[in-house]
Amino acid sequence: MTTALFAVAGAVALFASILVVTSRRIVHAALWLVVALGAVAGCFGALHAELVALVQILVYVGAIVVLVLFALMLTKAPTNPLPALTTRRSPFAAVVAGVLAILLGTGVVIAFGNEKIGPVPDGSAEAVGTAVFRTWVLPFEVLSVLLLAALIGAIVLSQRAPKKED
Amino acid sequence: MSAVLTAQVLPLADFVAPKIEYNELMPLFVVFGAACLGVLVEAFLPRTWRHLVQVALAIVGVVVAGVLTVLLMADEKKLLAAQGAISVDGPALYTWVILLALTLISLLLFAERSVDGGLSAFAGQAAAVPGSEAEREGTAAKVEHSEVFPLTMFAIGGMMLFASANDLLLLFVALEVFSLPLYLLCGLARRRRLISQEAAMKYFLLGSFASAFLLFGIALLYGYAGTMSLGGIADALATKTGGDAILLAGTGLLGVGLLFKVGAVPFHSWTPDVYQGAPTPVTGFMAACTKIAAFIALMRVFYVAFGGTRWDWAPMMWIVAILTMVVGSIVAITQTDVKRMLAYSSIAHAGFLLTAFIGLAQAGSGVLNGITSTQAVLFYLVTYGFPTIGAFAVVTLVRDAGGEATHLSRWAGLGKKSPLLGGIFAFFLLSFAGIPLTAGFTGKWAVFTAAWTGGAWPLVVVAVLCSLVAAFFYVRVIVLMFFSDLPDDAPDVVLPGWQTTAAVALGLAATVVLGLVPGPMLDLAARAGEFIR
Repeated sequence: MTTALFAVAGAVALFASILVVTSRRIVHAALWLVVALGAVAGCFGALHAELVALVQILVYVGAIVVLVLFALMLTKAPTNPLPALTTRRSPFAAVVAGVLAILLGTGVVIAFGNEKIGPVPDGSAEAVGTAVFRTWVLPFEVLSVLLLAALIGAIVLSQRAPKKED
Repeated sequence: MSAVLTAQVLPLADFVAPKIEYNELMPLFVVFGAACLGVLVEAFLPRTWRHLVQVALAIVGVVVAGVLTVLLMADEKKLLAAQGAISVDGPALYTWVILLALTLISLLLFAERSVDGGLSAFAGQAAAVPGSEAEREGTAAKVEHSEVFPLTMFAIGGMMLFASANDLLLLFVALEVFSLPLYLLCGLARRRRLISQEAAMKYFLLGSFASAFLLFGIALLYGYAGTMSLGGIADALATKTGGDAILLAGTGLLGVGLLFKVGAVPFHSWTPDVYQGAPTPVTGFMAACTKIAAFIALMRVFYVAFGGTRWDWAPMMWIVAILTMVVGSIVAITQTDVKRMLAYSSIAHAGFLLTAFIGLAQAGSGVLNGITSTQAVLFYLVTYGFPTIGAFAVVTLVRDAGGEATHLSRWAGLGKKSPLLGGIFAFFLLSFAGIPLTAGFTGKWAVFTAAWTGGAWPLVVVAVLCSLVAAFFYVRVIVLMFFSDLPDDAPDVVLPGWQTTAAVALGLAATVVLGLVPGPMLDLAARAGEFIR
């Protein structure tokens, strides 16, 4: 049962993420991103990691995609299909990406192909809380430093000095 | 009553607070604390004061952190701190000191305002369109981005973490912490803003791509070992059978992410463009500090976690090392821009470092009293870092109306115009080339010895040949500076302020001292010992 649910959610996530990168309309891409991230939340849900699934929906689907849509709105990004931006070299890139995907996919199948997916006890709120605030407390705090640096960077890149009044 | 209830409802009683070794991690906290204070300064101080206060704060932060690290070194601390996430060991502390010393010099260059008409090398308003009215107004009003100082402090804190990360999760977090400020700093040049912005964009996109590789590698390794800690992966390698496919794929992807930051071929294509476009003080900072942090992280991951599967990854690294040395040395010959040439030279130096890394000469595994790989790399990074920042500092001084004159043809005859500047730059180039009596020579001698004792002698042969090729283009620049005629429209050599003077003097002093008396530094590198797990 878990395996089936996980497989369905995973397939949806894969399908949606391919549409995210191939869609010509940027708003469509953002909306497919909602589906992709939601399906990943479904994967977590299938593994009985309810807290992680909920956080995934809250943070990624809720906050990040909304942020993307706001950015599109504020920068007046065009909603009609974008012109093709690929260069003549894109087939080579596609071949490289395809070969890499096959190699990595084969590796993962060889390693985990026979395993049954079961519910993960580490996904409970208690286990996640202990992991974040005990084992991983320092990386967790360092991430807040990263966010602060990103915030400062965003201000640097976008702030304009007020006009002089003289 | 309510306390009892809470304890019953929430399993707080079971929670054991994490153990954080504040004393041992204090240098990191000081650096991050200075960065956060810098943010507050930016928010609350009037514009006229900010530059001075930011410079003072950053320098005090770096010096205090450096002193604390030296005290820890004197105690010979060796422990896994913060729940095993950070290893505070000899190589980590040594790297911290070197990073902080080089950051101090870089900060001086960042603070320099007298070479470009009373303004720093950074754009007044990053948001203003290049060439627009708003940009001119900002320059006339002497608007500056003093946020570069807190961003630099964030970057250096991230690099210190990166060099001491003992698990893959912290490795990734630290990578992002130091990369993000660097992407931003690259795009903030005051002159030639378009190529600066292009450089930042390129670095950001390729850097994110490399981070994705690293992350996928981490995921696969976690799938293999069931743990993120480097020691745990080493244990899994020793005990586990099967699952070799994802182990190899994970090692490879992790290697791609780390080699990208080191600037090794074939993951080097960002280096020349970014080094050329970034403001020159930032280029010096990146070229020296990023390479040091990334190389130590690379060594730590591969020595501690994958020491047991050495024969699986060594062939890949051999190819990367040879490619890096050959491409770096040969493509450098064709460059016509000083900054691009120094970028390819830094790629070649990454290749020389990789020879010692692959040699894997370790105490206990055959090397009795020779130079170990860790010692050689730690020493080489110092002999490479100081001349690099010094050379980029010299580049900031050769200017014409459009800013720095970086095209090599513009450097013709500069040695006649300013023998002092020409002489200093020539000395740095000779050090890069590895001429005896310079730091570069002793550094090369150390890494090649380590590679040789480790049995990687074919690499040493290739490295010596590449050094000869590299010496050719360094000497060519010297000949151009001293034996060409000075054209009438030659660029000016501006008189630097005390900041750049101090930076060049420090770089020069280190290069001379390490060339003449390398002994104490080599001993220090030897005392750092090996990575712990």
